[in-house]
Amino acid sequence: MATQQTRRRSVTKTHERIAQLGWRHDYHQPVPIYETRYVFPEKAKDPMKQVMREYLPMQLEKDDRVYGGFDAALRAGMPTKADERWLQVMKPLVLILVYAEGAAGRCMSVVMDVVPNEELLNGYHVQFVDEVRHIGMQMNLARWYAKHTPDPAGWHRGQEYMAENMFTRAGINMFSHSFVGDPIAAGFTMMTVIETAFTNVAFVALPDVATRNGDFIQATTYSSVQSDEARHISNGYATMLTVLQKDENIPLIQHDLQQAWWIVHAFVDPFVGTIMEYFSSDRSDNESYLTKWDRWIRDDWYRSYVEQLGKMGVTVPPDMFERARERLVAGLHHKTAPLAFATWPLQFWKFSPLTEKDFDWFEAQYPGWYDEYGATWEAYSALTDPEEGALLLGGLLDGAPPFCWTCMLACVLDDDMCHRTCTDAHGHERTRFYCSPECKWLDETNPGRYTGDRNFFDKHHGKALSEVIVELGLLRADGRTLIGQPHLRKDQMWTIDHIRDCDFEIRSPNITQARVLGLPDGNWHDPDDPHGAVMGDGNGFQPVTLYGGGRGRNGDGRVVSTPEDLAAAAVGSTPWVKL
Amino acid sequence: MAGEIRAGERRQRRGEDPERQFQWVVPAGRKASIYEDLTLDTQPSVHRFLKSGYHCSFADGRGTWDDASTALDVVTWSAFRDPNELWERPYYQQGAQCEREIDAAVESARSQGLYADVDPDWVAFLRRDGQVPAFVEHGIWAIATRRSRAALSDALTHGIVLYAAIKQRQAQALVIEGMDLDDAFGDVTIEAARERWLREPAWQDARRLVERMGTIRDWGELIVVAGLVVEPLLGVLLRRELLLRGALRAADPVTPAIARNAQREGAWWQDFAVAFARFAVQDPEHGAANRVLVDGWLEAWTPETLAAVDALEPILDGAPGTSFADARAAVVADQRELVAAATLDPARPAVVA
Ligand SMILES: [Fe+2]
Ligand SMILES: [Fe+2]
Ligand SMILES: [Zn+2]
Ligand SMILES: [Zn+2]
Repeated sequence: MATQQTRRRSVTKTHERIAQLGWRHDYHQPVPIYETRYVFPEKAKDPMKQVMREYLPMQLEKDDRVYGGFDAALRAGMPTKADERWLQVMKPLVLILVYAEGAAGRCMSVVMDVVPNEELLNGYHVQFVDEVRHIGMQMNLARWYAKHTPDPAGWHRGQEYMAENMFTRAGINMFSHSFVGDPIAAGFTMMTVIETAFTNVAFVALPDVATRNGDFIQATTYSSVQSDEARHISNGYATMLTVLQKDENIPLIQHDLQQAWWIVHAFVDPFVGTIMEYFSSDRSDNESYLTKWDRWIRDDWYRSYVEQLGKMGVTVPPDMFERARERLVAGLHHKTAPLAFATWPLQFWKFSPLTEKDFDWFEAQYPGWYDEYGATWEAYSALTDPEEGALLLGGLLDGAPPFCWTCMLACVLDDDMCHRTCTDAHGHERTRFYCSPECKWLDETNPGRYTGDRNFFDKHHGKALSEVIVELGLLRADGRTLIGQPHLRKDQMWTIDHIRDCDFEIRSPNITQARVLGLPDGNWHDPDDPHGAVMGDGNGFQPVTLYGGGRGRNGDGRVVSTPEDLAAAAVGSTPWVKL
Repeated sequence: MAGEIRAGERRQRRGEDPERQFQWVVPAGRKASIYEDLTLDTQPSVHRFLKSGYHCSFADGRGTWDDASTALDVVTWSAFRDPNELWERPYYQQGAQCEREIDAAVESARSQGLYADVDPDWVAFLRRDGQVPAFVEHGIWAIATRRSRAALSDALTHGIVLYAAIKQRQAQALVIEGMDLDDAFGDVTIEAARERWLREPAWQDARRLVERMGTIRDWGELIVVAGLVVEPLLGVLLRRELLLRGALRAADPVTPAIARNAQREGAWWQDFAVAFARFAVQDPEHGAANRVLVDGWLEAWTPETLAAVDALEPILDGAPGTSFADARAAVVADQRELVAAATLDPARPAVVA
């Protein structure tokens, strides 16, 4: 090591030179494999400058602190001191966030495939490398939890469980929006909405809850992740400022930003809201999820970012943001949480019943909470002992709301729920339910996007719960005890025999509700399809080769979506979404 | 892609708590490495655990990932491993180490007055062409970043992303060296290097080749072409034969640190590409078809790459102390070895003379 510090080169000057490495191709033009509807101006806006000579040692130092933290946490006895209720929910949370990191990285690759402006490319790529870092750190966190926390069951097959779990698959669906479809729309989803609006919730507010629950290694890891986000947010802002220079792009931005906002809200708010409030044992925080949301999302993002875009010609109607908040006030996550808890036998982590202390906290934060939800939580507690021989799910599933086709979470708000009838590949009518008119709008305006066997319970309809648990591999190494448990006690653990004794048959709420409402079949599972999906109406374009050739809307494997198409479709049945 | 590795196949060892191991990780060796634990299945797949298909697709029918993103086919993409197991932490350790070594070389050149000893002809060469290879690295970087996303497993995607990151570091190191040389000798600009890249006839075949790489849509082709053809022939010619050997003979105190580090990173990528090609052509089901494809790519890219190498004759012979004929012979011999290591026929691209 040189003892003298090398004379510092100016980052700006270095960047100016490095920016000259791009050139306009003369012999061969780059061929993209993704398509965008956006056009690009000659000159882009510069994001934050990043030079590898500064970047690499900076990141190494941050890595060293994080990885050193794991040893320190062990020496400090954190695994046994941290709150068990909290540690349990890290299983789905960390794994879905690892997927989010991979999505963020891949977002950079699709954006780079279509953005011609050299000024932006370097920043995008550095972000992809950051995201690889975030995957490594968070998988290391998962591995550490698996090795050291008191009850690791669930971690051991976490990636398997995650792919077929009713909540995490909704997360996979949502985060995939950031690298599937039009790359610029994908970029808005990741950089403008997820990173700019929601990382403060995920990587600042959540670690705070972790620390309050004695889990400081989660906080160390996620704070280090968050320290990279300023650059990613800057990439998003530079992208926005670049495309809004072209008038043709303005309606696209308005359209795509609303759609990006909605899909992210529809998953993150119920998911993270539930984790933060229903899996924290510490009740010293007097700020509810809604209050945090107002601070981070409404004030710091909507008011000081989205509204400001108006000055630059991008007016986004406030309706969607107001609607999202109204849904939170109406109990979006409070109504999702009981459903998550009631389905404990199908989850890969343990739950713990709410206590008097929890009730007091909820009542203080959300006056009227106990009147509305108290009885459900009392019933939940009463049925945690297998000797009771009854499942809360038994009383709940028949009246349970169907799952939303678009966001894949339950349609918990009655006034918002809606549906439409679609035609499958054989010409049969089937019903798709939506948690909200906005989710319906997303499906209607993006034919081909929402694919696969989507309604969680459809494929299990008519099967015994015990059979489904075995099928999903949700038994512990002893072959009898369930991984999901309704309580954290060492005794009174539920086994597959207890479940068999309950003799409970799964009925898909999507199928039940369609029947009750006199609508066409609500089932979208086809046992003969390789992935169990009913084909038709947007679902199941044949896989096409890289260069087209499948059967798209025009039979050529391509669905043409011009801005006019989109504008027409967008205004159609959802008049508040004006362009 | 018929088969898949079933989770939980990992052999449990005595005394190990199965609930404390990632059972989905199927180790390539006896024991799962940390690289495997932190990388595998972070990219989900319908060939692994996504039994209900991809939930988010492109309007043209491509799923979240698409088997047709490469013409290659194998039984199990998820079985591929980077032989050197690069993941984020060692990547940052090695990358930061490269930059530290280069900075240390610059510092000692300055404080010990070593720049004064550099052969003036070599300085003239560096002023003229020293930064031009940065355009090659940058051009390869641009396509590698764009093709990383489509790759069909986490280990593949991460490999391509880290390769791109390495290219970017190498390109920038040459530009920063230009700034340091500008300080020491004056009149070293990126604009002049850019002019050479855009107009000097000797560089145009290289530029044409790099621009052509930007047309590659298939990420498998990208790994093969970059790893077995362009890097070993053109990349090594520039980094080792021109910059490293030339600088060592010219008493240049800094360029060897840059070129040596780049070569060390290049060795990682070569191993990766060789492992990838072997993985494809030795696949029990699709190996023969893959061999035809890979051979086709070698044939499609080797002549143009050699033409780019040959066009550089005046550049190498114009630099003090380097011989184009020796340099060409060395890289061609090494590349043939590499192709053979990938179990491909080194004589197959008939133009390799
Ligand atoms: Fe990230
Ligand atoms: Fe990020
Ligand atoms: Zn929805
Ligand atoms: Zn039918």
